[in-house]
Amino acid sequence: MPTPLIQISGLEKAFSTNESWLGQWRLRQGKLARHKESVHALNGVNLTINQGETLCVVGETGCGKSTLARVIMGLTSPSAGEIHYLDQRIDQLNNRQRMFFRRRMQMVFQNPYASLNPRMTVYQTLSEPISFHNPQLSQSSVDEKIDELLESVGISASSSDRYPHEFSGGQRQRISLARALSVEPDFIVADEPLSALDVSVQAQVLNLMMDKQEEHNLSYLFITHDLAVVEHFATRVAVMYLGRICELSPTKTLFSSPKHPYTQALLSAIPRLDSNTAQPIRLIGEVPTPTEKPIGCVFQARCPYANQRCYESSPSMTLQSDGSSVACHAIEEGRL
Amino acid sequence: MKKRELAALIDVSFTLNRGERIAIVGESGAGKSILGFSIVNLISKPGYIESGSIKLENKELTTMNLRQLQEVRGKRIAMIFQDPMMTLNPVLTIGNQLVETIRSHTNISYKDARNIAIEKLHNVQIASPEKRFDQYPHELSGGMRQRVIIASVLLLNPDIIIADEPTTALDVTIQAEILQLLLTICQDNGVALVLISHDLGVVSKVAERTLVMYAGHIVEEGPTLEIINDPQHPYTQGLLNALPQMTIPGQRLNQIQGSMPSLAERPSGCAFHPRCPYATQKCKQEQPQFIYSGVSSVACFIIEDMLNEFTDTDKEAL
Repeated sequence: MPTPLIQISGLEKAFSTNESWLGQWRLRQGKLARHKESVHALNGVNLTINQGETLCVVGETGCGKSTLARVIMGLTSPSAGEIHYLDQRIDQLNNRQRMFFRRRMQMVFQNPYASLNPRMTVYQTLSEPISFHNPQLSQSSVDEKIDELLESVGISASSSDRYPHEFSGGQRQRISLARALSVEPDFIVADEPLSALDVSVQAQVLNLMMDKQEEHNLSYLFITHDLAVVEHFATRVAVMYLGRICELSPTKTLFSSPKHPYTQALLSAIPRLDSNTAQPIRLIGEVPTPTEKPIGCVFQARCPYANQRCYESSPSMTLQSDGSSVACHAIEEGRL
Repeated sequence: MKKRELAALIDVSFTLNRGERIAIVGESGAGKSILGFSIVNLISKPGYIESGSIKLENKELTTMNLRQLQEVRGKRIAMIFQDPMMTLNPVLTIGNQLVETIRSHTNISYKDARNIAIEKLHNVQIASPEKRFDQYPHELSGGMRQRVIIASVLLLNPDIIIADEPTTALDVTIQAEILQLLLTICQDNGVALVLISHDLGVVSKVAERTLVMYAGHIVEEGPTLEIINDPQHPYTQGLLNALPQMTIPGQRLNQIQGSMPSLAERPSGCAFHPRCPYATQKCKQEQPQFIYSGVSSVACFIIEDMLNEFTDTDKEAL
């Protein structure tokens, strides 16, 4: 039985689009009324990340996958819902309380050109988190640790006094990973870490991430839109649409028998190398921006199987016989 | 500081037939965008075409002056760029930009131009084109914008479309739609397509022929499906093997060691030799020539040697 590391329940996040107090007043039927507009990036996400697993979150731009990562890491605070790390609640911590958890969970960002400080050498970049979280360490043991870290991600220790611009994209992403690993975390959130890299370099970084997972028994929350990477790397996959998770399955099950209509469309759109694949299922329209909290199923506007019930009530995740969970009325009713 | 010139493309030759769809594949820094830009002489200073010739039918493009080039650009050869937001002017409506394109090349009234523009918007499957005509680029989504770009490219009925990573900024579902659209448009209108991409999956959906580039050279050229099924050049093999779908899930990926050399430190001989698992002494010194391997044209000594050996034993057998 896998032990849960992170548990998320009912997570919601809304971003206000008219932030200023004055901008919120509208004239309505001759009266001034306060009117708040916001984008609902997350609408009740329930998710469990187990120890030592790789949970991949996939979805199109604007579905809230990056917001989910940032909320888990505490980079933005959620509007509602709870996040638990083991048995401690971590969504309402102040900076001082969070310090302990920052050591336990780290993040690798999408763009290695922007996430490394251009004015800090690799040595400075790595020594800052190490000496901050381990104040008892002597200078020489910090140095030793940095050399070890760099060698372990395939960068020679002699280049530790170089600046980020002197490295290639793949090397920079490996330095980012070294920085995340420097505090010996249990859990790493990686937000599209491969999308800025070339195919051959992608393979290098992905291999490194798998090696490190084995060495340190890491858990990953891996956010990506590249389904080929997901198929290769993930233990379980969560498919997100418009701030909700619509399907959560073990990787093999998801790719062999996708259930949710959205997952089916998403998988059919992957450009595969073999020539005789079926035509992609065409979805009408694009991911809408959820300015209103959606009533009913989030996917109803683009779903070919939507009926009256889909417009009225929102489906909840139900466990299927093959171990996947799907939120879809059509599957529940056996229409699909 | 000493003035130094770096070559981004070295000895690149290929032909594009009427109505043919080819793809240029390679990693960043291979020179594939520069190649695309060179065709319409869009290279920004201080870059320039040092030697060689680019011919459209019988007309030489490299020696044309600006006025002559303007006749070619857009009208004969049109380009689609990676980021549709950068290509569209944010302060003009979609309609104005399309009409401007038509009217700067032909002598027709605004009303006629508007009708053509709306028809083309309709052709690229944009819903309610009359409404979109008066909207600004920021009001459209990424996929819509790329559709508008494709519509604008079609306005002057070009013979060749050069598409530089047209779907890189888009989601997979939108990418599939845009690729399908490009394909049908090229087929219906007999337009030739040069697709520049790093994604072999994308290429296999659209292109009939593929050129693989590495460090400014074309290293392999041949029919797309055959290159994908039976890659000859070690670099093409590495590129395909590095794809996650090529290994059993959970196993290590087959990575190519090292990374693409920068223009300033191009290795001698075959540029791929420092990363090539089969490299010999000869590869370090000499530049391989193209040879037909039975599947594709490859510039590689290893393949050449293997073919020679094969023909020798073949002769003996005979």
